[in-house]
Amino acid sequence: MSDLVVRCHSISRTYQDDSVPVRALVDVDFEVARGEFVSLAGPSGSGKSTLLNIIGGLDRPDAGTVEVDGVGLNQLSESDLSDLRLHKLGFVFQAYNLIPVLSARENVEFIMQLQGVPAGERHGRAEAMLEELGIESMADRRPGEMSGGQQQRVAVARAIVTHPVLLLADEPSANLDSTTTEELLKLLRRLNEEHGVTIVTATHDPLVMSYARRQVRLRDGRIIEDSAREAA
Amino acid sequence: MSEAVVGQTDVRTGGVHGFLIVRIGWRNLWRNRRRTFLTTGGIAFAVFLVVSFMALQLGQYDVMEENATSLLTGHVQVQHAHYPEDSRFEETIEHASQVLETVRATPGVVAVAPRVEAFALTSVNERSFGAQVLGVDIAAEQQTVRFVRMLASGHTLQGPQEAVLGTVLAKNLGASLGDEVVVLGAGKEGGVAALVFTVVGLLETGMADLDRALLLAPLPEVQAGFGLDDEVHTLAIRVDDLHRSQQVVRRLRAALPATLTVRNWDQVLPELRQGIEVDKMGGRIMYGIIMALVVFSAINSFIMTVFERTREFGMLLAIGMRPGHIMGMIQWEALFVSLLGIAIGLALASGLTLWLMNVGIYLGEGMQEYARQFYMPDRMYPAFSWEAMTVAPLVMLVGTQIAALLPSLRIRRLKAADALRAEG
Repeated sequence: MSDLVVRCHSISRTYQDDSVPVRALVDVDFEVARGEFVSLAGPSGSGKSTLLNIIGGLDRPDAGTVEVDGVGLNQLSESDLSDLRLHKLGFVFQAYNLIPVLSARENVEFIMQLQGVPAGERHGRAEAMLEELGIESMADRRPGEMSGGQQQRVAVARAIVTHPVLLLADEPSANLDSTTTEELLKLLRRLNEEHGVTIVTATHDPLVMSYARRQVRLRDGRIIEDSAREAA
Repeated sequence: MSEAVVGQTDVRTGGVHGFLIVRIGWRNLWRNRRRTFLTTGGIAFAVFLVVSFMALQLGQYDVMEENATSLLTGHVQVQHAHYPEDSRFEETIEHASQVLETVRATPGVVAVAPRVEAFALTSVNERSFGAQVLGVDIAAEQQTVRFVRMLASGHTLQGPQEAVLGTVLAKNLGASLGDEVVVLGAGKEGGVAALVFTVVGLLETGMADLDRALLLAPLPEVQAGFGLDDEVHTLAIRVDDLHRSQQVVRRLRAALPATLTVRNWDQVLPELRQGIEVDKMGGRIMYGIIMALVVFSAINSFIMTVFERTREFGMLLAIGMRPGHIMGMIQWEALFVSLLGIAIGLALASGLTLWLMNVGIYLGEGMQEYARQFYMPDRMYPAFSWEAMTVAPLVMLVGTQIAALLPSLRIRRLKAADALRAEG
């Protein structure tokens, strides 16, 4: 098994915005090794979310190749991309995006149900994950009955309960206050350091960047800085 | 899914548990209760309206068919093969007694009335009018049809040389009870048929044609007078269940010679059958419009649902749920909405139908004449039928599924990345 979880080679992506071509990514090379915690930073329109979406199989590059855990994404059909996301990737979204009609426990179990994990194993893993993230008391509450921070913790639990090879987080702190953001980041760092979860997050929040051990800065669709540093 | 994609993960592969989709579908119903109640209410209203009206309509048809057939024609008729078209006097059922026995022995036959039908000139004193002479076995007629009991005055046939006249014919002839009426007609072999009867009763059926022309007389005397042996023109038959009269027709056709024709009531009274068909078609159009309106309203409701939940669907796509499964979730929601609406609508319609089957709907005095003209009673009674109970629910069930499918087809084209940016 390669030590690289993500390998993007010379990828470009151009959007049509009101018939005006917008070059979101230009000839980008980007790799992520197993166990890294990487932040993609940059102003709006820099291409960080586009890069995250391409790595996550939610978008396709116009040129270049993408590999995730040794699987080339360019050749995959839409249904194979769905399966790749289901089995290899975990997503944490800016707006939590939990299923509002399911409880925290059911939300965490949801992906395992999609994967066909048997009920007994599913319940046990969901309980353990909620306890690990300190939200076991929220297990029976629905998203509308929880705070933003609690919802985001449930979203993280849902994303990592299936042991994905890569956790992708798009602006995970955008709707959180600084205290809750810090708690979330400590949690992500713990998952990265103690459980070896590979994390790539797109953000323009300096606090999030400070927790990542590698910062990649983008501007106008190009990587302008890629540096490893001591995390906060 | 290819092994290459999941080969290195430690989770088991498998399909989506149907129960998961069903559970989410059910809970989603209660996210927007007002919309769910409106959609469910619309379906319930349509089912209630259509089921109730269909039950009333079918009940009316039952009454019309029974009233029309039990008045004069009977449920089934046996005649000479050419008589229905030609109505020629000599086209009779020969060996009528034997045929009568065969018919009586046929399962489903309750009563049989043999008739001789002739046109003749009737005279009382100086006045003469054309009349339809009906030679009848009065006891058999009373078991088979109703018109012989509709006496305005006098009594029914009890002995020889007696006649019962329609009230209008009697008035035209200036005949009263006890008067003698002379009947002159053409016999089977071309000779003159001349008969004299005493008027013992006057019939008032409410049917202008009958009241204006009918003269009832004992069958043996009419047969003898018109030169007929063991012959009649018609066997009017009453069956045990009008809905199964076609079965009796099939049995009779199998039992009787090909020189005779056996006709069900809808062939004897085609105008009644056509009237019912036209009315049914009108009803179907009205029901179709009602149900189409509700289905369009359901389409609108599901369009709103799909648009409002675009971001949620984007998330589901992003975490690996297939578009087909998301569409399945919407279809389950539609199924629950329609089942709820159908259950409510059916419960209300059943309650109303059962109640009205007992008490009926009074049509009012103004409708009585109209009702009689169309063989209807002055009260409407619905009929509890599977047709009424199943057509609207099935149409609404399928309609609601289509209503959900049309907007949810959009999910197949949805890009997760775009959907996640949608307002939600």
